[in-house]
Amino acid sequence: MGSNRLRMSAHKPSARSTRALDWFVFFLADVQTGFGAFVAVYLTTEKWTQVEIGFILSVGGIIALLGQVPGGALVDWARSERLVAAVAVATIGVSAFAYAAWPIFPIVLLAAVLQAASSCVLGPAIAAISLGLVGRSAISVRLGRNARFASIGSGIAAAGMGACGYLLSSRAVFFVTVVLAIPTILAIAHIRADEINPEEAHGSVPREAPSDRRERSIAMLARNRPLLEFALVLALFQFANAAMLPLVGTYVTTQSSNWAPALIAACIVLPQIVVAAISPSIGRRAQIWGRRPLLLIGISALVLRGLLFAVVHDPHLLVLIQVLDGVTASVFGVLVPLIVVDVTYGSGHFNLAQGIVGTATGVGASVSMLFAGHLGDRFGNEVAFFALATVAAIDFFFVLFVIPETRT
Amino acid sequence: MTVHWKRSAIGLVLGAASLIALANAVPAADTAPPQASVTVISGGTVRGVLGRMVQGTNGKDMGRVVDVIVDPAGQVRAAIVDFGGFLGVGSRKIAVDWNALHFREAVKDGGPLKLELAQDQLKAAPEYKEGQALVVIGSTGALEPLNFLQSPQEK
Repeated sequence: MGSNRLRMSAHKPSARSTRALDWFVFFLADVQTGFGAFVAVYLTTEKWTQVEIGFILSVGGIIALLGQVPGGALVDWARSERLVAAVAVATIGVSAFAYAAWPIFPIVLLAAVLQAASSCVLGPAIAAISLGLVGRSAISVRLGRNARFASIGSGIAAAGMGACGYLLSSRAVFFVTVVLAIPTILAIAHIRADEINPEEAHGSVPREAPSDRRERSIAMLARNRPLLEFALVLALFQFANAAMLPLVGTYVTTQSSNWAPALIAACIVLPQIVVAAISPSIGRRAQIWGRRPLLLIGISALVLRGLLFAVVHDPHLLVLIQVLDGVTASVFGVLVPLIVVDVTYGSGHFNLAQGIVGTATGVGASVSMLFAGHLGDRFGNEVAFFALATVAAIDFFFVLFVIPETRT
Repeated sequence: MTVHWKRSAIGLVLGAASLIALANAVPAADTAPPQASVTVISGGTVRGVLGRMVQGTNGKDMGRVVDVIVDPAGQVRAAIVDFGGFLGVGSRKIAVDWNALHFREAVKDGGPLKLELAQDQLKAAPEYKEGQALVVIGSTGALEPLNFLQSPQEK
């Protein structure tokens, strides 16, 4: 794919490539949504035991965590991000087919590993293609647009696949995922390879002299203090954030059995609508206001959400509070890749750096579930929510006092 | 095919579990080595229950059977049912009394188990956690703790 790449100083991607990237992000969200939610239900209907299902989910989770850094490094190393992305999507499609066709242990284990590994590549690949396409000056607006299409994609997928799982079977969801992989790959193919600047996509300055190569070593990332500080911000953020929705979901189930699935669906879909609505303006504001004010707003919304969840008990009001989740999610959806661009630009390791912050995010999320689950069991949900809000508040002050503005 | 191998293997185990009383009724042979006895049960009268849908008496889907709890005597005491939730968020595993479940339709292909409990009665039940004391919700709506599962180190 694309051997003749132009090195353009000014990035003006064609409308065709821009729209193709929109669709790629949209369909990829569809493909990825199907997997996570239905594996446990599907394997249960296939008469798998809870131990086996738990093992498969854990293996997937561990690969998804450990694979972030190698995944980012792979995207940095590859000269065609499109090819890497297409192969990863195809792998997810094959994995989904394997789940549906042969639900036996070795096949499902392999499929779970491949699916998790592919996802590790796709996150950085989208950001790399975006950066390579539009260049640094326009990246914040583009990331806002990506967040919008990803959110519409996963919102529609959650609704559609939920209906599919309910009306047909949970196995059908996996076949739908296989089918959706096809337009995803077609969308990638429609992004014009010669409009993706490979140097830009890896976060390096174009036409850099080869003699600087030692300067751009991976060790430099380990000494990149703003990057590591930002990784800590994200770890704390997910520590506070990841367990909130599951805790609310469990609480809603205990409060209102008849309406619980509908209310939980609303808790999932409402933030997606908010993200789709406000992400593009977050992308623009990030350029006008800078990154820090938005980061502080996003974390404040998280603190407030935790506190409200601790004191509000009406299930319908809980759904409304999820609007705050949408605010937080769109801020972080846009700013995470954006700040990574800011702090690693010129290093040539933009995607590896994405892998590093991705790992921090994953660690934060795992700790969050353990921590909040334990607190919830022992002391009740209120205590768990207060604790999560406190973690979010610590993150707020960390950003306020330590994190510098990275817009240049 | 391999799929069938998996299904029939687990189905067999569970079929055997739910027919434990029947198996106990077979007199044990005293001669060593004991000869394996073969019980043939006509198809359509027994069926595995793992992964089976659980419906309320009103026919509404409530969840799926994910595990079966037995006591040291091999008696089936409770079914672990995964209730509620959407896309895996908010679902809870609850132990329901085996006697609160009705299996008339469950022996049909894909037929549901019927649970004689209203959904509101399930709200009070705590979530099932492996290795912890088990609270089983019965058809009277009462919560019955089963202590035999409590491990010594937990006390």
